[in-house]
Amino acid sequence: MNSTSKIPCIPIDGSISYEDWLKGRRYRRELGNRVAPEIIRRKSSSSDRRLKKLFDGERGLPFTPTEKL
Amino acid sequence: MDASKIKSALADITAEQDPTIKSLKMASLCSALWAERGVELVVVGGSAIEILTEGAYASGDLDLCHTSVSLPIRQRQEVMGLLGAKGGPRNWQIAGMFVDVLGLAESFARTPYRRVQAPYGDVLVMKPEDLFVERVLVSVYPGENSSARECAKKLAAVIVAGAIPVDWNEVRRLANLPEYRNLPECEKLVKEVADELDLKNPLHSD
Repeated sequence: MNSTSKIPCIPIDGSISYEDWLKGRRYRRELGNRVAPEIIRRKSSSSDRRLKKLFDGERGLPFTPTEKL
Repeated sequence: MDASKIKSALADITAEQDPTIKSLKMASLCSALWAERGVELVVVGGSAIEILTEGAYASGDLDLCHTSVSLPIRQRQEVMGLLGAKGGPRNWQIAGMFVDVLGLAESFARTPYRRVQAPYGDVLVMKPEDLFVERVLVSVYPGENSSARECAKKLAAVIVAGAIPVDWNEVRRLANLPEYRNLPECEKLVKEVADELDLKNPLHSD
């Protein structure tokens, strides 16, 4: 998304609609990618055993690529 | 929520392959069922940060807490049983993911929980003021933690850019509480992120 003015924010008061939350996903991801690596999922945790068993050796489902958000 | 709607929701969540949408939908379904029994749930920790930032941080488990009273263990098992859950009484496997209900939510901010109107009912999300100050603390204490630092930076980025408005006075107050005492670390990280994004630093020390 090129125009940030059209990106809905997650407000302090009230709520954000599901559609607006979806619309803002790519913008939020892109902001984070400007200050840290794209994927920052931890390599290990105390839940590893159950996670890796359920997710074929991974710690969760793969993240949707930024360009597909 | 009647059995047919639960069945339809579970089919939808099971088929969902985007981990963040899957978590949000699961939080929505659990929140609706627990709310019918008088308990308000809130998404916390990495799961909350993921919903707020899309930071590609969370793992395949959804962390929930209750905002006041919880359900007795038997009722917990009954309500999660409606979802075909395995396990319990604090963590379950449901629809291809894990759900943890960890206890009473720990929040110091006076701002409201954030609220997303998700497909099966509203989802409450932990306040970003709490999440940010806590993540900065974990990035430094008890030792340097690069994963927590990257997570804090991503959270700061969406906050500083205005995608998640926060009450900066609350951030300052929290960071000065005895529970945190990390205002200098918070200020430093916000300045760093604001500089990297070429945006105004909203957390000046003066």
